[in-house]
Amino acid sequence: MIWKIAKKEFLLNLMTFKFAVGTVVCVVLTAAFMPILAKDYQQRLRMYDDNVARNEAELRKVKVYKNITPTIFRPPALLSVFSEGLEKQVDDSAKIEFDKIPQMRGAAVQGNPYQAIFPVFDVSLIFKIVIGVLALLVAYDAISGEKERGTLKLILSGTARRYQVLLGKLLAGLLILVVPVTAVFIIGLIILLSFPLVDLAGSDWIRIGLMYLASLVFISVMYNVGLLFSCLTKRSAISLVLGLFLWIVLVVVVPNGSVYFAAQLRPLQPDEKLDGQIAALQQEFESEFNKSKPAMPDVIESDDGDAFGHWYPRLLNKGGMEYYQACYRLEHTLGVKYADKFWEVEQRYLNDLAKQKSLASNLSRISPISLYENVMSGLAGADITSFQSFITSVKAHRNRVVEYIRSKTDEFSATSLFTTCTREEMEQYEKGADSAVEHPSLDLRDFPRFIQKTDIVGDLRSAIPDLALLIFVNMLFFTLSFAAFTKYDAR
Amino acid sequence: MIRQIVRKEILENVLSLRFILSLLLTIALFAASGFVFLSRYAKQSQDYWKKTNDNLSALREQSSQLYRLAFYQQKAFRKPKPLTFCVEGFEKSLPNCFIFNVFTTELPAIEGRGNFTLPHFSDIDWVFIISLILSFVALAFTYDSICGEKEQGTLCLVLAGTIPRYKVLLGKYLAAMFTLGMPLLAGLLVSLVIVVSSKEIVISPGDWLRILTIVFWSFLYLSVFVLLGLFVSSRTAHSANSMVILLLAWVGLVILLPSSGKIISGVSSKNLTRADLERRLDETSRRVWDNHEKFGKNAASMSTDPKSPINNPPARARLVTAVTEATNQARNDHHNQLLAQTLTGRNFTSLSPTVIYQRASEVIAGTGISHCVNLYQQIKPYQTDLKEYIRSNDAEDSNSLHLIYDEEGCARHWTTISHKAVDFDTVPKFQERDLALGQSLKLAIWDIGLLVLFNLVFFTASFVSFLRYDVR
Repeated sequence: MIWKIAKKEFLLNLMTFKFAVGTVVCVVLTAAFMPILAKDYQQRLRMYDDNVARNEAELRKVKVYKNITPTIFRPPALLSVFSEGLEKQVDDSAKIEFDKIPQMRGAAVQGNPYQAIFPVFDVSLIFKIVIGVLALLVAYDAISGEKERGTLKLILSGTARRYQVLLGKLLAGLLILVVPVTAVFIIGLIILLSFPLVDLAGSDWIRIGLMYLASLVFISVMYNVGLLFSCLTKRSAISLVLGLFLWIVLVVVVPNGSVYFAAQLRPLQPDEKLDGQIAALQQEFESEFNKSKPAMPDVIESDDGDAFGHWYPRLLNKGGMEYYQACYRLEHTLGVKYADKFWEVEQRYLNDLAKQKSLASNLSRISPISLYENVMSGLAGADITSFQSFITSVKAHRNRVVEYIRSKTDEFSATSLFTTCTREEMEQYEKGADSAVEHPSLDLRDFPRFIQKTDIVGDLRSAIPDLALLIFVNMLFFTLSFAAFTKYDAR
Repeated sequence: MIRQIVRKEILENVLSLRFILSLLLTIALFAASGFVFLSRYAKQSQDYWKKTNDNLSALREQSSQLYRLAFYQQKAFRKPKPLTFCVEGFEKSLPNCFIFNVFTTELPAIEGRGNFTLPHFSDIDWVFIISLILSFVALAFTYDSICGEKEQGTLCLVLAGTIPRYKVLLGKYLAAMFTLGMPLLAGLLVSLVIVVSSKEIVISPGDWLRILTIVFWSFLYLSVFVLLGLFVSSRTAHSANSMVILLLAWVGLVILLPSSGKIISGVSSKNLTRADLERRLDETSRRVWDNHEKFGKNAASMSTDPKSPINNPPARARLVTAVTEATNQARNDHHNQLLAQTLTGRNFTSLSPTVIYQRASEVIAGTGISHCVNLYQQIKPYQTDLKEYIRSNDAEDSNSLHLIYDEEGCARHWTTISHKAVDFDTVPKFQERDLALGQSLKLAIWDIGLLVLFNLVFFTASFVSFLRYDVR
């Protein structure tokens, strides 16, 4: 019986104007915007390759160990075309330095700060907005429309039970809405794959599959909301108005409001406090450095430029050599020690940010649209956990680099740390000769390499709770519609 | 006759569920916007005055020696404007700190850390409520104005009388505008009462004039959507179809089209990162330095002893001035490219009335990206003023070499700029000036014209469609 009702509803809705227009609009939007999104990804990927290549080239040019400050880059997430998340908001590079441990930063520092006037656009926007409205439009007259047409009492006067009717309508609605969702995914994937630099791995297909599932669950939530309003009202115009107002509140008011309330309820510490702590630590570092620093003798040096924009003394006199040796050893040992202290101060600040963000997320979970957004950005690898794991692996890499330099320069005391000047050159320079011998760059064949790990399990784990919540909301709304329909006056 | 139609329509609308819902939603949102603004403005204002005064007191210390005035990196901050409760214009994510000395201006920066992990949502300001919620409400009121009456059977009865069709249409339009005006004005009043009753905000008469302009502008914007609703309503025979078309049109115009500006602007140009700029600055300065012989003998050498024979101050002055000019040019170009990227993206999306409305509101209120650009442009004349002041004071000192160029070490050791103290009260100080309302309107004239054009187009379209409408 359920299947018969479902089939009838499905065919009825398929032939309507609203469904045709809605599907056409979805398809047109995907076809129009997916190439632009894919091209943008391609550009970012090319920039990433350029940056990595340039970094490697600089590493081959470096002459002294103190100037090894490579930058590690995070490759752009391919699936961010489906859900941008924080991709463009958080900085995707981290510099390796001996006296600083890398931290997450905002991206506005590096890119175009004026771009902040634009809101985010990705394919999940089409789902949230267009297909969400379509779901409401299909569902608003499911029950109240039938009552207005007079066919509801005819169905219920037969042997069909109420729950069968409702389940049939639910099934039909889901089947109808599967059509635009699938169309968007298929067209989007075809266009995406037609771009040359795009390469989908096995784990990417799993993510896309889960995204498809999440989109279906989200659409069924919107359908159930429309169905609930339809079961509560006698006239379909009222249920449409109610449904649309609720949709506006859920799409526009709840996400904005949650960000605002999170900022009010858990405000960040004022900047001066953090700046003060950092300045105090800096003072401590400098006073400890100056305490053990040797007196500066008469230093004569000739400098040259090196990789990564640094300089180094190419030729030194004896006094300069000894002075710099002591200074750099002290600076590096102290620097490594203080890096941990600076990191702790910054980390406390980042923890505050994370707490504020999690409060905002929790508040916005009232709206299924935010739940859906969380699931999609988690699956795309563009949410905050992905950036956190990147920074953690960069931090581990930095430790390896520091250990490498430490071992190569004998606990920072060798002269190869800061200069290429040999003993003979030093003596010649003291006599007044300016030797122009070209020293080769450092042999970095055994330098530790950064390996990028893609962690699908971590991403799944961050997305599963919100997906479960979406499914729960689904069942909640359906149960409410069921309860309302059992008492519905069908005459 | 029109008056009777208007009265009937208004009464019908006011007694409906959608009116009550929209009234409640609008008032709630406007009240929220008032409170949000208050809680933020006091602190922003305090921060701004503290930082500006810190800058001034540091400048005062520099005036003990004239040359230090030239090299001190001053910071100009963006003043928080009271009209941000009308139009915030994404100001909290835009650059607010402009660092410069007499010779160069850095790229605009963002001072202060925000939470970069939170989504960039715009604050609830008037423009947000009106462009999103009230435009939706406008469509909700007019989607069934013609086809709904046809379905009820009353349209043929109205037109069977002596009333011409255009009067019916005009009556419906006026009624819809009045019905929309009620929640709008109620909300505006609530918001204004909340803002004005807090004693911390002072709204000057110029600001009141701007607020009035924005109110008229909002009515023009809402009229576009009312006419759109009337047009679609007079093209379809079933109100359900009309609702579907209007919803999808609203989604496209108000939500999707403005958002697409980001990707369009991102695609249209190459990477414009800080790293690129640093590289370009390096290249330009290196190019000039490598040709240092053409500026004079020993231009590239410097010893801290002013009497040393290897010094050639005039040559070095020429060299360093050339470097400064080249790097300033590169930096200026970069900044223009950044601006062009964003503004082109916005221009592409100005097919949408929402973008036009937002842009012109920002210009009228003097907030948003136009505020940043304005401030940046005011720095250059100030730099010229300060340089002229330094030059005239420097000319009085016979000890100095009278060479004003961007190298602090030389100025200190060689006295290229006078080391005498100056009276701080005579030093020109940077002050941000607001654009006059007339000037702002002149900048917004294209946008105003565009919205008037939209209105005319939709009105003509609905007029023509209604004339041929089958009313049976």
